[in-house]
Amino acid sequence: MFKMINLYPLKKFRFPVIAECVSPDVFQGKNQKEIEELEIWEGNKQKRLGELFKVEETRKEQETIITVCGDVSKVRRIGAYMTSGEITINGDVGMHLGEEMEGGKITVHGNVGGWTGSMMKGGTIEIHGNASHYLGAPYRGSNRGMRGGKIIVYGNVGNEAGAYMRKGLIKIYGKAGQFAGSRMHNGTIHVQKDSEGRVGACMTGGKIVVEGFLESVLPTFTIESIKKKVKIEEKIVEGPFYLFLGDLTENGKGKLYVSKEKNPQLSSYEKLL
Amino acid sequence: MAVVKAVTCPVCGCLCDDIELTIRNGKIVKVKNGCAMCESKFLSHKNEHRILKPLIRKNGEFVEVSLEEATRKAAEILTKANYPILYGWSSTSCEATRVGLELAEEIGGVIDNTAVVCHGPSILSIQDVGISSCTLGQIRHRADLVVYWGSNPWSAHPRHIERYTAFSEGRFQKSAWKGYLTKVKASAAKKKIESALRRVLFRKKAFVSPKPRKGPPPTLFKEGRKLIVVDVRKTRSAEISDCFLQVEPNKDYELLQALRALINEQEIDVDEVAGIPVEYLEEIADLMIGCNFGVLFFGVGLSMSKGKLRNVDAALSLVRDLNMRTKFVIMPMRGHFNVTGVDTVFTWQTGYPYAVDFSLGYPRYNPGETSVVDILLRGESDAALIVASDPVASFPKKVAEQLVKNPLIVIDPHMSATTRMADVVFPSAFVGIEASGTAYRMDHVPLPLKKVVNPPNGVLPDEEILKRILVEVKKLKEKRLVEAA
Amino acid sequence: MDIAIKDGKIVERVDELRARKIYASGMIVMPGGVDIHCHIAGSEVNTGRLLRPEDHFRDFERKTPKTRSGVGYSVPSTFTTGYRYARMGYTTIMNPSMPPLEAKHTHEELNDTPMVDKGTYPLLGDWWFVLEYLKKGEIEECARYVAWMITSTKGYAIKIVNPGGLEAWGSGGNVGSIDDQVPYFGITPREIVRGLCKVNKLLNLPHTIHVHTNNLGKPGNYLTALDTMKCVEDLASEDKPAIHITHCQFSAFKGSDWRTLKSGAEEIARYVNNHSHVTLDMGQVIFTDTTTMTADGPFQYTLHELSGNKWVNHDVETETSSGIVPFRYRRKSYVHAIQWSIGLELALLIKDPWKIFMTTDHPNAGPFIFYPRIMAWLMSRKAREAVLNRINRRARNRSLLPSIDRELGFYEIAIVTRAGQAKALGLKNKGHLGVGADADVAIYNVNPETIDPSRKYKTVRKAFRQAAYTVKGGETVAKNGEILKHVKGTTMWLDVQVSEPIKITEEMKRRFREYWTVEYENYPVTEKYLEVSHPITVKANV
Ligand code: SF4
Ligand SMILES: [Zn+2]
Repeated sequence: MFKMINLYPLKKFRFPVIAECVSPDVFQGKNQKEIEELEIWEGNKQKRLGELFKVEETRKEQETIITVCGDVSKVRRIGAYMTSGEITINGDVGMHLGEEMEGGKITVHGNVGGWTGSMMKGGTIEIHGNASHYLGAPYRGSNRGMRGGKIIVYGNVGNEAGAYMRKGLIKIYGKAGQFAGSRMHNGTIHVQKDSEGRVGACMTGGKIVVEGFLESVLPTFTIESIKKKVKIEEKIVEGPFYLFLGDLTENGKGKLYVSKEKNPQLSSYEKLL
Repeated sequence: MAVVKAVTCPVCGCLCDDIELTIRNGKIVKVKNGCAMCESKFLSHKNEHRILKPLIRKNGEFVEVSLEEATRKAAEILTKANYPILYGWSSTSCEATRVGLELAEEIGGVIDNTAVVCHGPSILSIQDVGISSCTLGQIRHRADLVVYWGSNPWSAHPRHIERYTAFSEGRFQKSAWKGYLTKVKASAAKKKIESALRRVLFRKKAFVSPKPRKGPPPTLFKEGRKLIVVDVRKTRSAEISDCFLQVEPNKDYELLQALRALINEQEIDVDEVAGIPVEYLEEIADLMIGCNFGVLFFGVGLSMSKGKLRNVDAALSLVRDLNMRTKFVIMPMRGHFNVTGVDTVFTWQTGYPYAVDFSLGYPRYNPGETSVVDILLRGESDAALIVASDPVASFPKKVAEQLVKNPLIVIDPHMSATTRMADVVFPSAFVGIEASGTAYRMDHVPLPLKKVVNPPNGVLPDEEILKRILVEVKKLKEKRLVEAA
Repeated sequence: MDIAIKDGKIVERVDELRARKIYASGMIVMPGGVDIHCHIAGSEVNTGRLLRPEDHFRDFERKTPKTRSGVGYSVPSTFTTGYRYARMGYTTIMNPSMPPLEAKHTHEELNDTPMVDKGTYPLLGDWWFVLEYLKKGEIEECARYVAWMITSTKGYAIKIVNPGGLEAWGSGGNVGSIDDQVPYFGITPREIVRGLCKVNKLLNLPHTIHVHTNNLGKPGNYLTALDTMKCVEDLASEDKPAIHITHCQFSAFKGSDWRTLKSGAEEIARYVNNHSHVTLDMGQVIFTDTTTMTADGPFQYTLHELSGNKWVNHDVETETSSGIVPFRYRRKSYVHAIQWSIGLELALLIKDPWKIFMTTDHPNAGPFIFYPRIMAWLMSRKAREAVLNRINRRARNRSLLPSIDRELGFYEIAIVTRAGQAKALGLKNKGHLGVGADADVAIYNVNPETIDPSRKYKTVRKAFRQAAYTVKGGETVAKNGEILKHVKGTTMWLDVQVSEPIKITEEMKRRFREYWTVEYENYPVTEKYLEVSHPITVKANV
């Protein structure tokens, strides 16, 4: 029933490849032949998965495990809607990875494109490289951001990570671009290094922690206090941190923690305390 | 000699439709009512580097060919492509765009318009927060506070202020033109006195030029219509305004958000935002709340500076919030005369305003992913059709390079940078001068474009050329199906 | 019984040997559906599309060799709109709100809406010319201008939305009752409605004035609706309708605030049952995510404030306004559940099916694709109960539905979904299958002789969702959900002929230039904008 499937791209892709079918839910219960027959798009041509990937079936497993070996940076929507099982990608991967994912785990040893974990509801995505813009953010026009699950990025991320977030955790070991956590309602974003600014714009709730340099806090945030430490999912992160509340424009009650040590330029706020 | 009245000007998003043209021997000899941009377009369309015959590049050289041959060649390129792009559109008619969309669908391509490099971000923000807007006449009749933000209408939309806003005369609001004249006279008088003084004071500088004011100028509290300009530098429009707010570059977002907080009666921790003291901002916020009908026009200065769509997001939200207190509207200053119309046609046929990807056989939309500039940056396309646009000149170098690497088809009246790099060139008629059609003004009012003179012999309108390509594409596809079977 | 079709018309007989035949025994044969009020084209609809990529991206239709691609859901793209109507057996639809200044836009979209014949109503209730001439009491002059406007915009009927309120909204205000003064113009909604009702009669228009009442969507507004109907009571003659109150559900709220909201359907039904000058349509709420869009700017703003959802406003100089707000109707919301109940109560309590028609005010109360569901609710108590059991409890306790036994039969369904609508619109060749009618036919795969729709409502619903055959102008265009042929459909408009048309003098042009920001010459929609133009000549009494 469950097994391990390895996929090897047969060439370096030039056109966008839409591969919604690369998901444990779809592969489950299918044999190699059936998997090769799955529908996939390369540019404007409909193809079979087997035309673009070498499919290799190996040992039995507890769950369906998919391993993609090679550069799939043009391949989009891998693991979209997945509910269980595992995907490991050894190489860069394209946009919409794990979009609307509900469970299971995706691990990437490489960089990921935009909209990774977009509108995700559950499960875990672990990225050992960098992530592009709109990590965990919703589709255009939608306000249904991430509603659960975990995204861990060991590298840097682009703009608008965690926009409209409602629940869950985004943990970034590297730097974050502009507008991290914009319009977020709840959940947690943890940036271990610097942030490009405009963090938490229009947030109404939730928690953002910036451990690195943040040039300025939006004028629509107000200083609340200095905290020695902050708790993120059972774990304590040592500070001290300036705690700001905002965003005032939305009558928000979001919490923005910014490292005191790394940000002497914010010390002028202290006189307001 | 004939005089044609009520001609629509096919240049900028103002789409002035009161132009009067005098035509003699099939040539436009006089333009009345238009601005300089309008005049030069109508008077010089024939003198520019017009192309008169379809061209195909053979062995690196352009060769004149028949329309049929060019059409066949274009259709071949497009049907063969795996991920073709169709770009331009905002300087052609809605009718041509309609055909373009069908063509894009037929070949499974990505169709995008120039909004992607100007107000595309604005549209993304509208999709997030909505927009409180109206037609321009509404502003002429009612607005008593006019704000231009990151836009310089005096140069880019020359008749905007006079026809639709501060200097126009409406039913409930009078023109601020007189006040402006007095101001100009006063400043001229001041200059006279200054120079007289200089002479008296042995050519020394009479006054040290005053420090930029930190408080709002007194003109802001005058009666009647007020004009505020917000920009990073003092433009011509700023000079004629009642108040100019100079915002630090790339700080528009902070400024807009601060204004939002202030009109929501929130206290701000900092003393200065974007280089402007908060007390001053409070005055501006009061003015906005206190007006009867305010309008905020924004340009690419806002939508294309750091923060992009989120700057517009903040502006839209500011105006939305202001509606709790008074009537306030907002409008993007669309550049190309029909960029609004093109967005409109895209939307009714596909549900999406630009960056529409048909590669899966149905419309998909996600700017950043399906937008032409990004596709080119990632090197994904393998053919392009450009209509009434010059991306080689306007795109960043890297993007333009990618564009010309692949087969390139261009439909354009003249030899532009893009045309020069093309593989197939269709000369086309100037829509609004040599071909009729429809265009939409920046406020979504549709206006007819007139054909006032004949195009050069054998030169067809965009719409017609596209139709021919479409027919040829369908034929080719059918043939291929038959061959396959 | 056989129905013979030739050259797009229903005829006495055809040569049976040579005719193509559709065997429809055991099926229901109806005239093609007619929708009197659905927002499918024009500036507000399209802005609704633009506003909502998140509404479309899951609901798409792929291109086929016969059809164009497109997207749904609540505001479908134009081609998809046409196909989806055709699949349900609808062949005529009316787009109810067109800002005259943007009429070209509406018509360009109608051109791209295939499969159906269509018409559109210009918004005239807040047009400055109307306000001014009515104020001066110059009804005949007003009528001449209205005639000019209808013909110039290629419109089909006089649409009035929140009369006077929209002009007030231009400066951020509104009117609160039909006797409030419109700021600056010194006229009341009552005078506007009465004035245009008289104009309508003077011009001999086929449809009545089409009215969206003041105070729409506000608790207690059923009184405004009653006032509006009453105010033209004396203008009716020969038992003919004089006013159409559209999406009446939104105007049938009793109570003083949202908490005390109750249905005013009983009062409205009582009035309508006792008077013959009114027709209505339902504006039935569907529990789903949709997009509200009306010309009623102030109402849309209130909706934005209530829901916190994104909001578009678009005021049109000298004429009208509009607003758009995405909205989700929830079963568990007290207010929404009451609204759901009101629509059905109206349809069931009004005895004469020729007086109330089925609509959702698409997409305001729900997308049109849910019509089959409404048909099932109308035909089956059981279907209604199934929903009642799942709605907000307080709303259920207050609903009148449990006390209503009435179940519509197939014949009545045919009236509320086509025949009645066609009659109210004055479309002589639509809504019936008599000789001379347009050959627009819908065939549903359900046997009215054998099925009990009250019990088997799901079967009926399924049949209505996908016509076995849709015939448009004599051609089979859809079969079991598949589009067989992309046909254009006509745009019907009124060529209103008055004995003394308005004169376009230089003075008039100057006034025009003052009121609008476009030139007189560029205002009218020329016939070349209509791909398949179908003018209907109307001889006016003025
Ligand atoms: S303002 Fe724009 S539209 Fe008007 S005349 Fe000048 S260029 Fe033409
Ligand atoms: Zn409606």
